[in-house]
Parts: sequence; C-alpha cells; structure tokens
Amino acid sequence: MEKACFELKVPSDVFYLESVRAFIGKLSETLRFSKKRIADIQLVLDEICSNAVYHGSKCVSCGIHLQISVNTQALEIVVSDKGGVNTHNWLSPERLAEIQAKRSPTGESGHGLYLIDCLADIQKFQLNMVGGTDVTAIFYRDVE
Amino acid sequence: MSGTEFMTLRENADIKIIDVKTDLSSYAATDLRKVLENLLTEKVSKVVVNFSEVSHINSTAVGTLVGIAKRLRQSGGDLKLCNLASTLTRTFNLIGASSVVEIYESEKSAIAAF
Repeated sequence: MEKACFELKVPSDVFYLESVRAFIGKLSETLRFSKKRIADIQLVLDEICSNAVYHGSKCVSCGIHLQISVNTQALEIVVSDKGGVNTHNWLSPERLAEIQAKRSPTGESGHGLYLIDCLADIQKFQLNMVGGTDVTAIFYRDVE
Repeated sequence: MSGTEFMTLRENADIKIIDVKTDLSSYAATDLRKVLENLLTEKVSKVVVNFSEVSHINSTAVGTLVGIAKRLRQSGGDLKLCNLASTLTRTFNLIGASSVVEIYESEKSAIAAF
C-alpha cells in the first residue's frame, strides 16, 4: 500500500464534527483496525476537534484543518487551529500542564486531553506559526 | 416537559427516563444538558438515562452527566445510567467518572436501584 494523505478543512462548528468522525471511522475500518481501536480513534479525533472548535477558533468560518496520513505502519492525524479570540496558542506547555494537574474524575471538564493521552499511541501538542495549536495523534496499525 | 431532536422522555412513577437517540459528541451533548437542566428546573430528582441506541460518547457529554449527577444528589435524588455499550463504559472508566455516576446493565436494574 502506498502512503496516502487526506486533507480536510472543517467549519469551526461542532455540528460538522459528526461527519469527520464518520470519515475517520470508515477509513480506520478500511485500514483494518479492530472495532475497539476504531472507537478509540474516533473518540480521540472528536476530542481534538472539539477543543480546536471551542478553544482554537475565533469564528465558524475560521475553520480547523485536518491532515490525515496513512502508511503501512500507522495512521497519523494532525488537527490545526488558528487560535481563539482570547486564546492564541491556547494549549501552551504551561496551560497543558495546568489542565492535566487540575483534572479530577469528579470534575466536569479537562478530560479530553487526558483521553487523548490515554488512547493515542503518540500524541504531540505544538504551537503553530499562525497563533494556533497543532495536535498530532498517531495510532500504530497491527502488523499482519 | 418535552424531549428534543435527540432525546425522548418517559416516566416510571417518580423517575424520569431519558432515551438518548444519537451518539453523544459535543453537538448532541448540548441537547443532553438542555434536557437535564430542564428536569432540574422542574424539581425532578430521580433520572435514568438509557444509552441503548448510543455507540459513542465524548468527554463533554460525560462531564455534563457528572455535573448533573452531583446536583441531583444535593437535592436528594440521583442520576443513573443504563444499557451502555462496552466502549462507552470504557470511556467512563478511563475518565474515572464511573466512580461518580452509577452504571447499570439494564433499565430495570437502574430503576430498582432508587
């Protein structure tokens, strides 16, 4: 199988995230991830995109950008936002550490980043050049 | 009291039962919060949420359920969940929310637990 890359620009509105979740579910199925792993991939993408819409977007038309790369060993997802109204680079290393330290199982928020950390094989949070955040999640494929 | 596009409401004695009719990502979680907030406003204290038609839940929806469960307990009631797919239970367990919100295998057992 050749390397493949998909790019999507999605409006910054959670209404559209269902379609993104359906797309990654179908792609993961095609790549023969297990059902359990497909659910993990869909959940991680949902969490990353929801954060990008809520915290990393000034308006609906700003949009978020998804780059999904596939090779024989892994599925890699990169979600890029442009930064929110008062939240440029909303996920700075300091902010990330603060969110992780404050998370409580009995709390109502702060769980999304924790789930990404638990479920992706590799995850990276990087500030980007336009004042937003790039979040990368990598899932290794089962080698047959 | 009425349901929404994604939720329908039923009653069993003094217990309100919410049937969730869609996967719970951030968009539908707003609907879930609206329904639960309405029940709190109406002084309902015992609520069961039936997940038999749900295959996905994200942290926003879990957080909503945790918050409402705590508020219902403060008023002497509770929120109980039932019929969760294994992937959903796993999400609750990973977050640790299953220590806050009670999960039952069936609607019957959730109702009996009040």
